Amino acid sequence: MELLIASNILLWLLLIAVAFTVMALVRQIGVLHGRIAPAGALMVDKGVAVNDPAPQVTAADRQGRAVNIGYRSDRAQLLFFLAPGCPVCKSLLPAVKSIARDNAGELEVIYISDGDMAEQQTLIETHQLHKATYVVGPEIGMTYQIGKLPYAVLIDPAGVLRAKGLVNSREHLDSLLETRHLGSASLQHYLHGQPAADPGNHRAHP
Amino acid sequence: MLDPVVVTASSTVLTALLSVAACHKVRDWQGFTRIVRTYEVLPGFLAPAATAILAISELALASALVLPAWRPQAAIGVILLMALYASAIGLNLWRGRRGIDCGCSGPGARQPLRPVLLLRNLVIALLAVIAASSASERALDALDIFVVIAASAVALLIHLAVDGLLANQPRLADFSGR
Repeated sequence: MELLIASNILLWLLLIAVAFTVMALVRQIGVLHGRIAPAGALMVDKGVAVNDPAPQVTAADRQGRAVNIGYRSDRAQLLFFLAPGCPVCKSLLPAVKSIARDNAGELEVIYISDGDMAEQQTLIETHQLHKATYVVGPEIGMTYQIGKLPYAVLIDPAGVLRAKGLVNSREHLDSLLETRHLGSASLQHYLHGQPAADPGNHRAHP
Repeated sequence: MLDPVVVTASSTVLTALLSVAACHKVRDWQGFTRIVRTYEVLPGFLAPAATAILAISELALASALVLPAWRPQAAIGVILLMALYASAIGLNLWRGRRGIDCGCSGPGARQPLRPVLLLRNLVIALLAVIAASSASERALDALDIFVVIAASAVALLIHLAVDGLLANQPRLADFSGR
């Protein structure tokens, strides 16, 4: 009898421990779900729709050269919106640079910033962006209705906006290039199985 | 005639569940009022009153379950409350409004309405049926009290786990693109 009581108590304690472990596991899964939900570059539903022609803007870069955005050209364009006072933007610069280097033949990366020129200069010095196309001015950001930074927009050679989104990591940036191949507006759309545009457009860019 | 340990354990679990539920409502009063409003069971202006009545009745039932004399009546009250919640959920499911927040797991844990939530209410109601049934006369010794506490703790932990799984399910479905 003594043994049975002891064993019963022990079993209850162990059962509580197991139930607690299961609950903790479920909680952790919940937290993970919360973390991974926006797996791709987060699309803020503003501005130009994906798979629509990108607005055509011409702006002058740092050296005063004209930069045409949204026009038909031989290379796709990646617009990277940043600001000197945005730490995440700076942490992404190496990734943007490596994307620019790896896709030099088919992708033109344009850095778009706004604000104090001296701070821009420091940023350019630290990140060695002397040779990059670097536009300082609000026109492009206003045309594309960029509200949050760092933001990236991908425009294909035909001048059609292919992907856009708030980017916070290298994965987000890659996801923009990836969604171009998948034919979805954003990775969220791809995961949710909702095509962002009419199917004809998708077949043209599988 | 059920063993008093079973009856006491069921009512302890219900007390804890109802206190937690009432606590959720008090902590996020406005959020819950909004949820009551989106259920569209009552006219919108009655939503704050309905929230108050729900929270107060949950607290009252929770305290009444502790008192052995009032336990059966309180347990029947819990069955009625669960039936009320289930019919509100069922009505909105029947209307096809699956997107609205259930309000089942407290603030910060949204989950859409699904038929499985009716099953959850049914399980709680069954627990209340056990709590409402008459217990055989037997003095509880220390071991009995230990079992009551341990069983309640396990039931609560399982309830939390099931709640978490239910809340995760739609997110998982979202994630796998179904």
